[in-house]
Amino acid sequence: MANNIRILNKCIPWYPSSYLLPRISGLLQAREYSRPTSFPDYFQNPVFRKEDQAKLIESSELSKIAALPMKPPAVYETSSVYHDPLVNKLINHVMEMGKKQLARSLVEKSFENIKRAQIERYHLATTPEAKAKIELDPKKILHKAIENAKPLLQLQPIKRGGITYQVPGPITEKRSLFLAIKWLLEATYEKERTVHFPKQFAWELLDAANNTGKVVKRKQDLHRLCEANRAYAHYRWQ
Amino acid sequence: MLSRSWRHLCRRYSQAVTFRTTENSPSQHNEKQEGLFYTMNPDLCKQLFGHGGFPKSFQLQTKTFTETAIMVRQPALDLMNCIRASDMDKPVIRYVLYGEKGTGKSLTIAHLLHYVHEEGYLIVHVPWVSEWLRRVPRHKEMSNSQTREGLVDLPLDAAAWLIHFKSQNQTLLKSGDLKISKDYVWSKRETTEAGAPLAALVEHGISRVKYACDVVDALVDELKILSTNKQCKTFVAIDGFNSFFYPLTRLNTPTKKKVKPEEVTLTNSFLKLTNNDWSNGAIVVTADQLAVPDDHQESYLPRYLLYKKGFEHLDPFVPIEVGRYNEKEFLCCAEYYRDRLWLRGPKEIETELKFTSACNPYRFMEQCAPL
Amino acid sequence: MSLFIRNYKPNSLATVYNTKLWRLNSTTTDSALKKDEEEEEFRVLDILKKRERFQRRVVRRTDIQPDRADRMATDQNWGNVWPGPKTFHPSSVPLPLRQGYVPKGQAPPGKKANAELMKIPNFLHLTPPVVKSQCEAIKQFCTEWPSLLNSEEAIEKHYPVEVITSDYCHASPTIRNPLARIVTLRIKLSTLNLDKHSKDKFIRLVGDRYDSTTDLVTITADRCPARAQNLDYVNYLLTACYHEAWNVEEWEKDKTEDDMEYYDWNNNTSKKALVNWHLQTKNENRTLNDDEYKAFDTSEIPYAEEYKNAVSSWFNDGESDATVKNYGEVVRKLFGLPEKK
Repeated sequence: MANNIRILNKCIPWYPSSYLLPRISGLLQAREYSRPTSFPDYFQNPVFRKEDQAKLIESSELSKIAALPMKPPAVYETSSVYHDPLVNKLINHVMEMGKKQLARSLVEKSFENIKRAQIERYHLATTPEAKAKIELDPKKILHKAIENAKPLLQLQPIKRGGITYQVPGPITEKRSLFLAIKWLLEATYEKERTVHFPKQFAWELLDAANNTGKVVKRKQDLHRLCEANRAYAHYRWQ
Repeated sequence: MLSRSWRHLCRRYSQAVTFRTTENSPSQHNEKQEGLFYTMNPDLCKQLFGHGGFPKSFQLQTKTFTETAIMVRQPALDLMNCIRASDMDKPVIRYVLYGEKGTGKSLTIAHLLHYVHEEGYLIVHVPWVSEWLRRVPRHKEMSNSQTREGLVDLPLDAAAWLIHFKSQNQTLLKSGDLKISKDYVWSKRETTEAGAPLAALVEHGISRVKYACDVVDALVDELKILSTNKQCKTFVAIDGFNSFFYPLTRLNTPTKKKVKPEEVTLTNSFLKLTNNDWSNGAIVVTADQLAVPDDHQESYLPRYLLYKKGFEHLDPFVPIEVGRYNEKEFLCCAEYYRDRLWLRGPKEIETELKFTSACNPYRFMEQCAPL
Repeated sequence: MSLFIRNYKPNSLATVYNTKLWRLNSTTTDSALKKDEEEEEFRVLDILKKRERFQRRVVRRTDIQPDRADRMATDQNWGNVWPGPKTFHPSSVPLPLRQGYVPKGQAPPGKKANAELMKIPNFLHLTPPVVKSQCEAIKQFCTEWPSLLNSEEAIEKHYPVEVITSDYCHASPTIRNPLARIVTLRIKLSTLNLDKHSKDKFIRLVGDRYDSTTDLVTITADRCPARAQNLDYVNYLLTACYHEAWNVEEWEKDKTEDDMEYYDWNNNTSKKALVNWHLQTKNENRTLNDDEYKAFDTSEIPYAEEYKNAVSSWFNDGESDATVKNYGEVVRKLFGLPEKK
């Protein structure tokens, strides 16, 4: 127990006094409140990752923000080794009616399913090369799946001369991430009633990570449509 | 193929020092092996636990890990010591395992079952009492007892248990040394005569499901007589024993009357078995919070869970606490999970997990799952 | 004309200008005017109306004595200045008092003409020296403190009943506070003359007024308007409870084991189990009835006494890790099993 406390102390010397400003307000780390909170605008977002804090100290920007007021980090913003902003994002997408605990358990359960499937595959594989190929980390699989599901182009409806044209154009990083997660979840929801979400989601993630499956096909369909509609591209600026 | 098994062996050997013990016979286990994992033979595992006995989550683990490994822990060693030291002429001693949820009471029983199987005991093992009294699938077979007035039979459950009993005691039953002491008349045509082997009685119960509960009752009587006469040693293990003493079951008669546990024939049989009016054996039961509804799980201590009635039924008994992992056990377990690829990542994660799981074995396993 | 006015200075150049003025006027009535000039003084037209400066009125101060408070000697006998209870008077009190509510940042008004100070009752007549001198004065009427009541314990022993009341001082037109009527009576239960049954009944009668940790019974009465009435009532309650506790009603004989607040091992199945176990180990097949079980002498069974204590403490002290562990150790000894490591 004493050991635990010592470690805890080691982990949190930053937190009680001041929460640090993130240097790059990342796409996923930024904290936005849906409702007005008790923190005024000039409160800075906390720096809760040890790596970010180390960066701040190295670049000696710490002194600049040491005196600024900071928001406290949310419960999911931890300094845990396994903290992953993308997973937090995914959990928020899965969540309905604010039931975060349920969403979290579902996502974790699907990770567990992925892990079990991969470990089984690992044991079935005969050669070391084949074993080395198998990715066992469910989080890496998630990252890969989302990377594969991200579209590069999008279609925008633009009205010209009374006719609405589907005009292809570039897509922002944020929207492409949004679409990838949305498509993954939509693909998962198209399941039979008897199959549970974690199982189906695990399959979808594994498929997408292998660059196959419904989601990747949907992305490719979109790309194909963009290619077909490239004649309309000039409507974007005319 | 050869190279693979060689590699496998190498790996096993290299890590045997840290978290595994090569001593796979529980009767040889002692304090040296405490906190280490030993691997159970898959065939034996199928024989002992083919029809239940492991918790569901552990069963899933064995499938994922492609082996059945159980940690040698202090409560099991303690119980083995006690069983070895106890005087077999005296009435049987009752041991009550208790502890928080997920600390490994059922796995301690599993370890002990392996031990007594090696020692040549006759095993009477009830995997989970709540399976009979609290779990109500859509088609729960229930009927009024023919022989005992006002009681309820659970013929399918009883038959399933008889199959479990048969598979656990294959060798002993096959030898046919165990004979029945008196005649049992089931109906006009069906009787089991005195002197018939015990296996015949069990077979009858399995083939004629209608009489399964009565067969269980008869079996209990016979076992008591047999072991008192030193013809066999009997080991009784009942998981979730406190379910027998919770005031109500979830069962309903066709007339929508709530059934109390003492109105079930199986309950009576097994309560009869846990009396200490026989000798040459040992009884291990668990008091488990999970065997009673959520609103009666305030404490994990045995008297709260067993109620006064259960306490008086078992008294005097030896309470044995199954606790959380200690330092060494936790490290071994983490090491084992790493070996089985269940836990990955930097080394310092273990301290974090130790803190969040509070060294509770089940919680630790669960928290490792999504990582 | 304007020239004249501008340059007019009284007394100095009056004559010069007068002649000039004369010339400018008509010359027809010259002789008549000459006659007047000699008779009357010439009145100067005072256009600027130079006013005479008023002499400032000298304020006549009345002969006021300095404030009495300022004249008081520092070593005076205060008891003579303020002998009895009296409304506050600023001149009699040589203290720089301030009293009253003001907006933040301002000083409260001083003592003079301050109704706030006059409203509240004061205790200026009860300064410690005055109290001391008055005590000295009435000492001749007092009896001596009993020499045997020289310590708290002695007082507690001889006067176990403790009556607690409160007096209040507050700023309202009346000096009577309704809270002053409340009377609390406190007594240690052990000082009452009660036996096992009556003690149990007394505790049940007083209910949550009894605190088992301090062994105190606390009875509070506030239902009557006067303190004396409440005091009577509290005394009555204590007396009534005490005598009622000694009464044994017919229905009290129906009390069963479960109603008891303690676990009696001798009456319970735990003893039966132990005796049965003991008989079985000796291979005696006797069946005893309830009375025989109760009468069975357990001293011949080794560790029976410890076992009894362990079970009783498990039931009476509540279930905890310690009691369970203790029970386990004793049972292991009873069965002759090895100790837990």
